[in-house]
Amino acid sequence: MNITEDLKKFLDGEDDTKSQKRKSDVIKSIDKSYSLQKEEYKYTPLLKKINKRFNLFAQNKNIRSQKSYSEIKKSIDSKFYILCIDGFYKPELSNIPQNISIKNYSDLSENEINLFEKIYQKYDDSKSDFFSSINSITHNDCLTISLDNSFKSEEQISIINIIENYEVSNFRKMIFCDKSSEASFFERFIDLSQAESFSSSVTEIYLSENAKLNYYTTQDFKENYHYNSINTFQRRDSISNFYTLSFSGSIVRNNLNICLNDKNCYANMYGFYAINDKCLVDNHTSVDHVDENSLSNEHYKGIMGGRSNGVFNGKIFVRQKAQKTNAFQANNNIILSDKAKVNTKPQLEIWADDVKCSHGCTVGQMDEDAIFYLMSRGISRKKSISLLLSAFSSEIIEKIIDNKMKSVFTSLIKNQLDKFNDE
Amino acid sequence: MLKIKNLHASVEDTKILKGLSLEVNSGEVHAIMGPNGSGKSTLASVIAGREDYDVTEGIIDFQDKDLKELGPEERAREGIFLAFQYPIEIPGVSTTNFMKTAVNQIRESKGKKPLDAVAFLKLMKEKMKLVNIRQDLLSRSINDGFSGGEKKRNEIFQMAMLNPKLSILDETDSGLDIDALKIVSNGVNALKSNKNATVVVTHYQRLLDYIVPDFVHVLMDGKIVKSGDKNLALELEEKGYDWIKSEN
Repeated sequence: MNITEDLKKFLDGEDDTKSQKRKSDVIKSIDKSYSLQKEEYKYTPLLKKINKRFNLFAQNKNIRSQKSYSEIKKSIDSKFYILCIDGFYKPELSNIPQNISIKNYSDLSENEINLFEKIYQKYDDSKSDFFSSINSITHNDCLTISLDNSFKSEEQISIINIIENYEVSNFRKMIFCDKSSEASFFERFIDLSQAESFSSSVTEIYLSENAKLNYYTTQDFKENYHYNSINTFQRRDSISNFYTLSFSGSIVRNNLNICLNDKNCYANMYGFYAINDKCLVDNHTSVDHVDENSLSNEHYKGIMGGRSNGVFNGKIFVRQKAQKTNAFQANNNIILSDKAKVNTKPQLEIWADDVKCSHGCTVGQMDEDAIFYLMSRGISRKKSISLLLSAFSSEIIEKIIDNKMKSVFTSLIKNQLDKFNDE
Repeated sequence: MLKIKNLHASVEDTKILKGLSLEVNSGEVHAIMGPNGSGKSTLASVIAGREDYDVTEGIIDFQDKDLKELGPEERAREGIFLAFQYPIEIPGVSTTNFMKTAVNQIRESKGKKPLDAVAFLKLMKEKMKLVNIRQDLLSRSINDGFSGGEKKRNEIFQMAMLNPKLSILDETDSGLDIDALKIVSNGVNALKSNKNATVVVTHYQRLLDYIVPDFVHVLMDGKIVKSGDKNLALELEEKGYDWIKSEN
C-alpha cells in the first residue's frame, strides 16, 4: 500500500490551477502528515480500516436524490437548513435565511472568491492530519457560508450531511462570520446508505471581531467510519461555543482545533460520548492561545459500554505573547463493562508565565454506594443506573444556553442512555 | 413484623454479626446501642440488603417473607427504610426527581398507577412541613453540598415520603446540633403509628430523650447481650459499656 503515492497521482488529473496550487501545498507536507498519523492515531486505527475497505479516490457524481429527502424532511425540526448529500450542496432542497450567502466555491463571484481564498485551506489541519490532507485533495466542491455583519439570529441553521449513494464521501465547507455577527449552526451527519462507508468532513470557520458562534454537532451512524475536522480561527472579542455528541459508528474521529489569534477571545468546547458494542469514538481537540486575555474552557464526558473504546486528547498551547490566559480542561469517563476502554491524555504547552491553566481526567466505574442508596428507596437497579448516567450527562447539557437546543440534546442523550440499560 | 434469629453476617470473610436475635412488632420503637465496632451499622445494612454483606447463617424475616431472597429495592417496596448514617451525595439528580421515581416505582410494584404531577406535589408539600425542609433544597442535587443537618433532614423527608412499615435510623443523631436533632426527632415521632415500627441505632443516649424507645438492646461483638426498657439506656450512659462487658 502506498497511499501517499496515490494521492500524488490523483493530483495529476487536476486542471484548475488555483486548486492545483492548493493541493500541491498539501502534497508538500504529505509525508509529514502521514508520519504524524502514527502518534495522533495511536488508539484509533482509522487509516488501516478504511484503506482496506474503500477506494478513497473514487470520483462521486452529484446525483439527484428524492428518497433521502422525504426521509430527511421528517427529522428537520429547524426553520432553516442546508442540505448536503454525499458531499454535494443541494440548494434546491435547502431553506436559507436572509443576510446569509450560501454557495459552492465554484459559483462564487470574484469578490467572494477574494474573501474565501484567504480562508480556504489556511486554517485547517491538512498539513498535520493525514485525513484532512486526503479530504483537501479528494473533495469535490467546497460549500461556502458567509454571514454579513447584520446577521444576528438565535434560530439554529441546520447543516444536514447525508451519506447515501457512495461508500466514500467528502464534505468540505467554510464559514465566514463577519464582524459582530451572531449565528448558531446545528450540524448533523446522517447515514442512509445501509452499508459500510467512510465519510470525511473538513470545516474552516473564520470569526471576525466580536462575532459569536454556537456550533452543535451530532452524528447518527451505523457501520460508518467518519472523520470530522472543525477548525476555527478567532479574531478579537469573538466567542465560540462548541457542543459535540457522539453515540455510534465503527470509528469516529472528531478533531476540533481552535486558534485564539487575538485578544479577548472566548472558546467553550463541550462534548459528550456514550458508546456501546465495538464503537470507537476519538475526540482530539486543540486550543492555541496566541494573544493575551483569552479564555478557553473545555469539558468532555463519556460513557463506555460493551467493547467500546473512547479516546480523548486535549491540547492547550499558550504562546509567549498570550499573558493572562485562562485555559481549563476536563475529561471524565465512566466505564460500564470489563471489555470497554478509554485512553485519555491532556497535553499542555505553556510559554507565557502569567496564566491560569488546569486540566484533569478521570476514569471510573458506576458508584455502587450511589446505586445502593437509590435502590434502598425502592428504585430498581436498572432505573438507578439510568438516573446516575443521566446525572453524569447533565453537567454537559447544563452548559447549553439555548433552550431549544438544550431540549434537543437532552432527548438525544436520553434515547442513547436508554440503550445502555437494555443489557 | 421483623424476626431475626441467630443471624451471622460477614464482610469479606470478617465475621461481624455472630448469632444476633431480635424481634420487632408493629407499634414498637427499639433502640440498638453498643460501642464502636460492635456491628450496629452492619445490622442496619443487612436488614436493608446491602450486597457487601454476606448472611452466612440464621433467619431474617420481614412480615413472614425471607429477606435474604429480596434485593434492596424489593425490601424497600415491602416497607423497609434505612436512614443512612452517611447519606450519599449524588450530583445531577434532584431529590424531587429521586422521590418521584421512588414513589412511582413502589406504586407500580403494587399495581397502582403512578402519581400525577399535582398529586405528587401535594404529597411533597405535606411531608416537607413535617421535617421543616425547604423546597429549594429538594430541587437541588441529592445531598450535594448539604450540611450534616440538612442531609439527615433529607433522610427523614424521604422516610416521610415513602411511609415505611419499618424504619431503621442508623446513627441519625451523628453530626446534628440540638436544634436539628429536635427537628429530626419530631419528624420521626410524627410518623410513628401502631402500624409501623422504628429501630434506632445509636451509641449515645441523647437521641433517646427525643425518640423514646420501648426496648433497648445492647449489641456487643455481634450479639445482643442485654435487653431492657428505656432505663437501660440511662444506666449505660452512667456506667458505660464496660459495665456490661464485666457483667458478661
